[in-house]
Amino acid sequence: MSRLRRISATFVAAFRAFARRKTAVFFTFFFPVLLILIFGALVQTRPTGGGLFAREPAYYLPGYLAVVVVFTPLSRVGSTIARHRDGNRFEKLATTPLRRWEWLLAHTLVNVAVIGLAALLLFVLVIVVTGAEVVVGATLLALVPLVVVGVALFCGLGAIIGRVADSQDGVIAASNAVALPVWMLSETFVPPSMLPAWFRPVTAFSPLTYFSRGVRAATAGDDPTVVLLVLAALAVGFFLAGAVAVPRTE
Amino acid sequence: MAEAERRDETALVVDDVRKRYGDTVALDGVSLSIPSGEVFGLVGPNGAGKTTLVRALTGTTRHEGAVSVLGASPGTVDAGRVGLLPQSFDPANRLTARELLAYYAGLYDDARGVDAVLDDVGLPNDADTWYENLSGGQQRRACVGTALVNDPDVLFLDEPTTGIDPAGRRSLWSLVDELAAGGTTVLLTSHSMAEVERLADRVGLLRDGRLVAVGTPEELIAEHGGDSHLIVDGDVDPAVVSNVLDADVESDPRDGRLVVRDVALADVGRLVSELEAAGVDFDSFTWAEPDLEDVYLRLTGDSLEGRR
Repeated sequence: MSRLRRISATFVAAFRAFARRKTAVFFTFFFPVLLILIFGALVQTRPTGGGLFAREPAYYLPGYLAVVVVFTPLSRVGSTIARHRDGNRFEKLATTPLRRWEWLLAHTLVNVAVIGLAALLLFVLVIVVTGAEVVVGATLLALVPLVVVGVALFCGLGAIIGRVADSQDGVIAASNAVALPVWMLSETFVPPSMLPAWFRPVTAFSPLTYFSRGVRAATAGDDPTVVLLVLAALAVGFFLAGAVAVPRTE
Repeated sequence: MAEAERRDETALVVDDVRKRYGDTVALDGVSLSIPSGEVFGLVGPNGAGKTTLVRALTGTTRHEGAVSVLGASPGTVDAGRVGLLPQSFDPANRLTARELLAYYAGLYDDARGVDAVLDDVGLPNDADTWYENLSGGQQRRACVGTALVNDPDVLFLDEPTTGIDPAGRRSLWSLVDELAAGGTTVLLTSHSMAEVERLADRVGLLRDGRLVAVGTPEELIAEHGGDSHLIVDGDVDPAVVSNVLDADVESDPRDGRLVVRDVALADVGRLVSELEAAGVDFDSFTWAEPDLEDVYLRLTGDSLEGRR
């Protein structure tokens, strides 16, 4: 009960602190919507042509979801750590019973709540705006654990970035530098067939690749269990590393 | 724990603690023992090691030497018995004061009621104002409140009154008085000599990472404060004053005021009359007994900048 109380208190405080920053809330939802409108409605896909966006609209669903699953936790958790450090909040928390992993779990749950909503919005928008076709069935429910696990994974990575970067500006620059190539090169927008042969194996090292494969399987009616397990194992690793990275001392 | 039993404990022990940041020595063999229920004031110039010592005692910095808090290491002591207000603490600014205290209270199994803490820090009427909309003094009081939610036996206050107006400062002083009366051990760092002289049972003076003096304010003043003195304000020649009064006269390098050392209160009238009789044109004079600030200035070798 004590642990639950600590995590719950931290979750409530973190959620309120985020929800009251209207600009942050607005752009968390607006940025991915903007991308869908640009690429989904204006550029559109060309299934019979070549180059980018040459696949059917549903192919790009993981990419759109990844906008919030990757960018948001990296920047939010990273900058939250930088803010906590600048305000000596970790120094204070270190003298309380709150553990580092409990702090990260509470902030991860806030991200899950926010990004879960954003992902739902994106999912609906992609289908409505781009006409993406998904197979409605039991496998579609796997999107929920895929998003949750994906968010937890990138919250862990965000904590590592927050620890390494020495300022809030540094966190934003570092998280963009990490997120952009991961987002583009993880079987999201750029199909592996468009990449040089030597580079294709590299995509297997990106955790987002498994998120993409899982979302694609879940929306196509295929079983995503294996990739979900791989993603979950990676998420555990990244979360633990992130928990260790959460500062406690100077 | 019974009050008498708690007072028999040694709350804080620091034994030959050393800490370096690269080539900079932050703490250089500091040893100290603080009994339960004592208010201990830690003073010293910027960079003397005050915050580093607090961090050593709260387990938030690595160091050489040993420290103990309530008989345990900082890492193993019951966190519910320790409260900390870090220096320059800046909590989430879009929580209300009530929510902020509720958050920190939520981290403990046996926390005090938030309303009681709000009363203690004088914020019952502003409890539902966002932290960022509170005045500087109110913000600092809310921060102090976060260190009180668990009713700690040992309380670390690192420059708690920085940025607080005089009224707010006095209300916090009263709060520390009440905590001390209730048996809470308080380690307080401050740049305000008046504050530590007012609050502390004992004072430790840090300079360049070394604890150069420890004692009650009275002991320190008697030992290191020097004599009572007369300060003469005005455009006057030190040599003339020295000659008229037949006394050693120092000139304050900051504002040129003259300081006549070793002047008893009973002699002030006579000395002023002598100055007037000699035609020395001074604006005003002030007689002062040595205080903790004199101790500080003598032992730290600090400049007179900031002196009253």
